[in-house]
Amino acid sequence: MPTVVLMDASLSMTRPVSLEQCSEELQRKNLAVAGLTMLFEHMANNYRLEFTSLVAFSSLWELLVPFTRDYNTLQEALSNLEDYDKTCLESALHGVSNVVQQEWGHACPTQVVLVTDGSLGIGKGSLRHSLQTLKGRPEDKKFPLPFPFPAKLFIMCIANAEELQMTDTMHNLEQLLQLNGGDGQIFTMEGQLCLKSVQSMFGRLIDEVYSPFPAVLRCGNLASDVQVFPRPEPVFLDEEIDPMPRHILTEVDDVGPGTTEEPEEETSANQQAGKVPNFCVLLHGSLKVEGMVALVQLGPEWYGMLYSQADSKKKSNLMMSLFEPGPEPLPWLGKVSQLGPISDAAENPYGEDDSKSPFPLQPKIKRSYAQNVTVWIKASGLQTDVQKILRNARKLPEKTQTFYKELNRLRKAALAFGFWELLKGVAELLERECTLLPDTAHPDAAFQLSHAAKQLKLASTGDSQYAAFDQNINPMHTDFSGGGAAGM
Amino acid sequence: MKMFSVSHKTAFVVDHCPYMAESSRQQVECDVLTKSRGQGMIPLAPVSKSLWTCAVECSMEYCRILYDVYPLKKLINYIVSDSEFHILNSWRQEDQSTHELMSALAAVGPPNPQEDPECCSVLHGLVAAVESLCKITEYQHEARTTLMDTADRVANRGRIICLTNAKSDTHVRMLEDCVQETILEQNKMAAGSDRLMSIQQCELVLVHIFPQGEDTLVSDRPKKEVSSLLTSEVHSVRAGRHLATKLNILVQQHFDLASTTITNIPMKEEQHANTSANYDVELLHHRDAHLEFFKSGDLHMAGSTSRDSGLKETVTLKWCTPRTNSVELHYCTGAYRISPTDVNSRPSSCLTNFLLNGRSVLLEQPRKSGSKVISHMLSSHGGEIFLHVLNSTRSTLEDPPSISEGCGGRVTDYRITDFGEFMRENRLTPVPESPDTEASGKPPAERAKAQLERYTRYWPMIISQTTIFNMQAVVPLANLIVKESLSEEDLLTCQKTVYNLVDMERKNDPLPISTVGSRGKGPKRDEQYRIMWNELETLVKTHVAGSERHQRVLDCIIACRSKPPEEEERKKRGRKREDKEDKAEKSINKDSEDKSWQESERLKGALERGKEEQGESEVIKDSPDSPEPLNKKPRLDEIQLPEKAKGPVSLLTMWTNRITVANSRKHQEFAGRISSVNNKAELYQHLKDENGMDLHENGKATR
Repeated sequence: MPTVVLMDASLSMTRPVSLEQCSEELQRKNLAVAGLTMLFEHMANNYRLEFTSLVAFSSLWELLVPFTRDYNTLQEALSNLEDYDKTCLESALHGVSNVVQQEWGHACPTQVVLVTDGSLGIGKGSLRHSLQTLKGRPEDKKFPLPFPFPAKLFIMCIANAEELQMTDTMHNLEQLLQLNGGDGQIFTMEGQLCLKSVQSMFGRLIDEVYSPFPAVLRCGNLASDVQVFPRPEPVFLDEEIDPMPRHILTEVDDVGPGTTEEPEEETSANQQAGKVPNFCVLLHGSLKVEGMVALVQLGPEWYGMLYSQADSKKKSNLMMSLFEPGPEPLPWLGKVSQLGPISDAAENPYGEDDSKSPFPLQPKIKRSYAQNVTVWIKASGLQTDVQKILRNARKLPEKTQTFYKELNRLRKAALAFGFWELLKGVAELLERECTLLPDTAHPDAAFQLSHAAKQLKLASTGDSQYAAFDQNINPMHTDFSGGGAAGM
Repeated sequence: MKMFSVSHKTAFVVDHCPYMAESSRQQVECDVLTKSRGQGMIPLAPVSKSLWTCAVECSMEYCRILYDVYPLKKLINYIVSDSEFHILNSWRQEDQSTHELMSALAAVGPPNPQEDPECCSVLHGLVAAVESLCKITEYQHEARTTLMDTADRVANRGRIICLTNAKSDTHVRMLEDCVQETILEQNKMAAGSDRLMSIQQCELVLVHIFPQGEDTLVSDRPKKEVSSLLTSEVHSVRAGRHLATKLNILVQQHFDLASTTITNIPMKEEQHANTSANYDVELLHHRDAHLEFFKSGDLHMAGSTSRDSGLKETVTLKWCTPRTNSVELHYCTGAYRISPTDVNSRPSSCLTNFLLNGRSVLLEQPRKSGSKVISHMLSSHGGEIFLHVLNSTRSTLEDPPSISEGCGGRVTDYRITDFGEFMRENRLTPVPESPDTEASGKPPAERAKAQLERYTRYWPMIISQTTIFNMQAVVPLANLIVKESLSEEDLLTCQKTVYNLVDMERKNDPLPISTVGSRGKGPKRDEQYRIMWNELETLVKTHVAGSERHQRVLDCIIACRSKPPEEEERKKRGRKREDKEDKAEKSINKDSEDKSWQESERLKGALERGKEEQGESEVIKDSPDSPEPLNKKPRLDEIQLPEKAKGPVSLLTMWTNRITVANSRKHQEFAGRISSVNNKAELYQHLKDENGMDLHENGKATR
């Protein structure tokens, strides 16, 4: 999950921290930088794969470092931060919104870490002013929160709670969180403002938001400790039936390889252990060579898959994609709980030479586009169907089968739609075709046409004997059709 | 969407009263005469659909789209109303198909214009619909059963879509009041019942249908709240294509659908097969597939156009010539079922057939700037077509580190091929659900996990950690031992594998022992075999608890392997002794190996009676538990020889052997005789040994 650090660079950040025991004079800005340094160091060590960007703001905003995994650059930019004028949070939040949307689109969950001293400006452009004028804004001047992407907002105040509560700052910040859908948290410093307390505040942020996600990947008795990047977040399924969020269990169960979206990534840390055989590497190697994926169970009725993902030509890694929680995440696999070992099957469903596969499962009822449905909403649909019958009628007796197939399809639909007038109409058309038959026509054609017309007319009376839906009009047995016994 | 939202249950109430038999006055020419034919012929009078036919076909279209996009959990109850109500299907999932409904509708037939209009009313159907909404669906039942104590979280909401021809606005109000009253009544009844649920929320959608060319007597009205339980809206629509459009919009609103038009589809012309024209096909799907457009406000930029007089919005995406590689799937963020709006038009069926045949189509977002952005993909899985959303922005997963940079990444001799084989053996297959299997054992997925557990009890990950898995000879046993149960035949195969190994050891075949990490030639051959046997024992031991036959495989190994552990220890100690002694020791070792081979031959003989010549039955006392005498080589060859061809050992022979063995223990045997074959001993063996030649050559000769 990418992070945007939104750093207050207004003049108020340069206010000195009054501290008796401290020898050198510290500004609030120095404390903020110390806190962020700690965060960056933590991420460089534990979250190497996460992207972070740095935005500084006062009355204007500036993207100092675009999203990067290079924490040195971030650190450098932070130490070269200059001081500017007053605080104007609204435009800065717009800036964050733009930066994130341009980079990641709207689906990528993002964390925004706002670092400020809690003096949120005065007059126009101040947070207070922004919040007061929330309502009645035109479409193009909407407040940037909530962000158009899923976002968590963490507000790091270089101030203690008492200080913030003296004014309406705390209240305004809380309102800000609410605007973001309540996703996020406000952190304040405890006790005196000093290096120690700022570190303890950022420590709390790290514990809550940036703690690594260790897990165990298990395949029977083979197991490997893994770390998952980005950290999977709890999911709300159906707030009504299941109001508790679904968490991923840290014991990941590899159910077994199956057959093919939302990727999560997985890598193992701790480089000294490079020479100790690791199950992940084995699994990755074999999945890559065999071109297979492994099904992985993350919790009760929550599954995902593991596969080898190659970004460049040489590098590849084990990826985990999470499916939507539920017993049947991919319809073409069926219920995961109903997937059993192939040894249970009487004969190998993949074939002895891997030429077959039991997947994909077909749905019990075909979708409308996979069956020959009849829709006459547009006149053209009806015309096509009638013309098809007439075309085949002219090629009797060669096209007897198709003729009756199309005729029965039309008959079924007309009966279901209560469209008896059509049955009569088509009967008349068939009778007319009969009279138009050339002299050279096969004698069977006339018999079949008048038979079909008669049956349609009978059906159009609604008489249950002739108008049953599941009944079909069958070709008439004639002496010509070779059936022998002629039946009228 | 909540599982039990208003969309979970939809009751269709279609008016079947005599006035519905009236013509819609929309005429369809179905007799299209071509120029060449039909000169001087009177074409057939155009047919026109009745109001009933219009209502039925449009409602079926609503159902078709719904079932395509939501094959499960969105249920329809179809009710027809005249002098009484007719319920055409139930909430049960297996009743949910257009075929079922069409069949039932055919049985109902069109309204009878002769019926007394006084006793006919759509009210019967509306009352039945409310009653039906109180009935619990299988999904509600299941959710209530699983939630137990919190079963009250399962909500009961529903929607009634009523297709009728109302007389006036007052008539409409009367219908609304009636529904409201019935809900209150039914809720009271439901409160005291287990199989009924009271209605918490009901949406009434009244669609007034009137013939073309007439003025409507009923006015449109947006959704309003009749009570806390009931909302109602009125749509007044002309029969025919207006009604079809209206229901198409309603199904989109009711089920959060959105429309995408695929444009620039190249299609062969029917008449001129070598040319192709470009066509458009409109698809409906869940609106989340457009999330990116909604959020970015790109909707209009993405080519959103309004059709059918501004009633409908669709996003236009451009067909890209299909590609074969499916790498794009990796950045897929969602897949949504589709339903074509115009299912049996030629462009639609061409597209759907193309996709059902296994091809994929990438879709491009037309942008003014001219840059090409692929945002979606159409592809089918198991007979269903899905619209896949592809991530068109930067991915946070880019440039992942290579796995070789992590733990175990520097190890080079993983058993990749073996694990591939392991994975293929542990592949999954769908097991049909049946009540019997559930009662008898674990669910299939649990069985699959149990199999993984068994298969991995002993599974060294790298080649240099294992001997047995590098030996072709062990494969039959290794494949069988992991099974849950062994057949008699399996047991036999395992035992044969063991004998085969004994045979190899006797022949002193080289073993694929890894020399990695050890200097020089690696362990001596007898040491190699010791390692191999130990490993085989480890493998089999992890499975002995499985069944008695698994135990017998282990017994066989223990009986057959060259030395019981104490002997090994002694041997090790022996090595440290003086040179002379060492040599003597060696010859004994060799001899005992010889003997174990003989024992295995004996066992083999017992299994395959008469097949193998057998003589050394004296080894009966040679159980792994009995202490091994230093001078245990019996000299029985001469005695045994005549019997060799006779197959099974007689009791007398066994007894004689026993006595002979007992006697032989009483004195120290000559070293030469111990190592002799057919009473002939080879001299200066140690020279050979030291030269690294096969010292077991003479062992072979006994055969």
